[in-house]
Amino acid sequence: MRIACLWIPDLPLVATLRAEPHLARVPLAVVQAGSSLGGRAHVLACTPSAEGVARGQTLAEARALCPALQVRQDSPERIRAAGQAALEAAGTLSPRLQEKEPGLIYLDVTGLEELIGDERAVARALIQAAERVGLCAVVGLAQGPRAALLAARAALPDLTCELTATGLTGGAFRVVPQSEERAFLEGLPLLALADLLLIDDELLHSLRRFGLHTLGEVARLDIGPLAARLGSEVAALHRLARGEDQGALVPQLLPERFEEGEEMEWELSTLEPLIFVWKALLDRLAQRLSLRGLMARELSLQLQLEGGAWDERHIELAGPTREVPSLLQLLRLHFEGRPPLSSVRAVRLVVVPTREVLEQLPLFGPRGASATQLATVVARLAALVGPERVGRAVAPDTYRPFDARVERFAPPPAPLLPELFAAAPLSFSARALRPPRHADVRCDGAGRPALVISEGALGGRVLGSSGPWRTQAEWWTDSPLSLDAYDLELQGGLLIRASRELSTGAWWIEAIYD
Amino acid sequence: MGAALGKLLHDPQALEELLRSGRVRRAPGPGSPDFADPRKRSPLPFGVPSLDAALGGGLARGSLHEIVAPPSAGGTALLRAALAAATRAGELCALIDPADSFDPAATDIDLRRLLWVRPAQAVQALRAVEIALEARFALVVLDLGELAAPKARARTGQIELVTFQQRAPRAGASAWARLARRAERHGGAVLVLTRSAQAGTFAAATVELERGATRWEGGPGAPGRLLRGAMTVGAVARAKRFAPSGPLPLQLSLEQR
Repeated sequence: MRIACLWIPDLPLVATLRAEPHLARVPLAVVQAGSSLGGRAHVLACTPSAEGVARGQTLAEARALCPALQVRQDSPERIRAAGQAALEAAGTLSPRLQEKEPGLIYLDVTGLEELIGDERAVARALIQAAERVGLCAVVGLAQGPRAALLAARAALPDLTCELTATGLTGGAFRVVPQSEERAFLEGLPLLALADLLLIDDELLHSLRRFGLHTLGEVARLDIGPLAARLGSEVAALHRLARGEDQGALVPQLLPERFEEGEEMEWELSTLEPLIFVWKALLDRLAQRLSLRGLMARELSLQLQLEGGAWDERHIELAGPTREVPSLLQLLRLHFEGRPPLSSVRAVRLVVVPTREVLEQLPLFGPRGASATQLATVVARLAALVGPERVGRAVAPDTYRPFDARVERFAPPPAPLLPELFAAAPLSFSARALRPPRHADVRCDGAGRPALVISEGALGGRVLGSSGPWRTQAEWWTDSPLSLDAYDLELQGGLLIRASRELSTGAWWIEAIYD
Repeated sequence: MGAALGKLLHDPQALEELLRSGRVRRAPGPGSPDFADPRKRSPLPFGVPSLDAALGGGLARGSLHEIVAPPSAGGTALLRAALAAATRAGELCALIDPADSFDPAATDIDLRRLLWVRPAQAVQALRAVEIALEARFALVVLDLGELAAPKARARTGQIELVTFQQRAPRAGASAWARLARRAERHGGAVLVLTRSAQAGTFAAATVELERGATRWEGGPGAPGRLLRGAMTVGAVARAKRFAPSGPLPLQLSLEQR
């Protein structure tokens, strides 16, 4: 089995550069999180341009050595997102993969040469997949996981994280063919294994006391007496040294949720800076979704507030999408509609993906708005006039005249061929008066309306009438309906629908025919 | 043309022959100027032949149109006819209805393709039209045919809550100029119903209606007497691209509910 190891060395640094790629060109150090540490915070990683700065120095030391040093705090949100992105990048090449730790993934690449090319091409494809989600990676390819990790470590000197027009590039790889694996391993110092935590310090110390400094020296010894003295761990090391890496790959499923988060340097209480943060997070989410051919089905916005509590909001999407402007607009409108109770310390966006939905473009005419664009428009209008006043009009199943309500607007796709529309005679339409206008109606001797007195132009002498049409319904409810309806033509030409409540005798003007 | 196209789609052999002969060319692609410019697409008809002919086929896309009609003269009927024709042709439409007067009970409009917006203020209504145009709705209808200022009043109960509201102010010329520009930029047709002309020179066409006689079935006072409709006379009073029309008699019918 051929195993590839995708490794993101200095994950805190790469995660920072992924979020702020422009920092790749300046001296940068990532230090321990915690503002209370001040100059005592330790440097966790730094860019090559930070001359003199090294891991483990205090921030005060680092600044003394490199006055132009830019500093960022270690961000768990960024590291978690970068780790997920690395896993997804690996998942684009092989479904059999295992995340050993964030930023360290083993994957089974057996047989991929038939799809992609030789092993060098496979390694290159892995690096490119990582670069597409903004990560600089090293890749090792060997016979087993530990040998692959050692191969990746061997490629470290070739790693150059550079900012180009397409983003961060400069990944490196080392492919160890099966026939050369033993020779490759024999030359490796034991210290390299300790660096990668493949052996513990105690065993390393014991081996060095025996005068053993490379894997080759271990391989040449008889394993029996060595294992008797140093335990079974050295036996595994011996097998590794002989090119018999038997580390098992435990495949796992890719996560079902995509998360991107950001901690603020200071608490935010206004929308504008949050929009910049959301835009960057959505861009990265869109990159990751695009890499796997997925779209967002659900979007959640999580805000960590001043006291540390999380405010989670679920934003309904009209359809699968990864359009950043539309999603950003939805977030903005949602936030404006329900601002948080206090200032925001951290933001996290969570996307539940679904398979990419390809839209069928219309055969005749230009493309219309997508479902997400429409949802954005509805959200904008809802923010303008209120959510209960925008939507698809629906006539409820009721006896109440001219009743209406709104439902969610989700139009069907445009037909490939428009329905043939036959010219139809014009019909009077009822303009409902909501609420109905009260009127005083005087009737003639036969009980027919003769004069309507109401507000504005809604009154006048009755020139013609028809009715009554009685409606008695909903007597099973708390507000039964019992009325006589009339169509009236008023002086001046106005045609109205009026009704008289049987219980109270009150007259109401329900609608105007127009 | 639509019927011929329908037949062709059911007869692939005939379609193939037409394509081979070059008499039918492929639909315009994204690179074609006609494809990119929605204003060059066919107008949106009312479905009223005489009026559509007077308007050069219907409501031109990318333009503002105005219907000026007194109450009960059929202005709302024309709005509905335009919405019905457009939605049944598969177009997305928006109805901005500040008076909250739309009745969804009638089945002429494909309500699935109609976005109903009920702004409470005139300013909101104009902004809603702009938003709908930006979203590439093919037809945006602004109904300013409110007859009386709304006066909220409880229908039943001992205490009546009466809220007096000011009549909505007329939109100024700048508002209509902005709407006309937005319509042109985004390629949507805007149709406005008013009781008196407001859009002025910013409207590509103005249709005016005048009420005629009411039609009743049955004599006055007779049992079962029905309101059957009315006559109305329409005319394209002002149009930028063609000459005003003569009087166009229109018959309005009423289906009893």
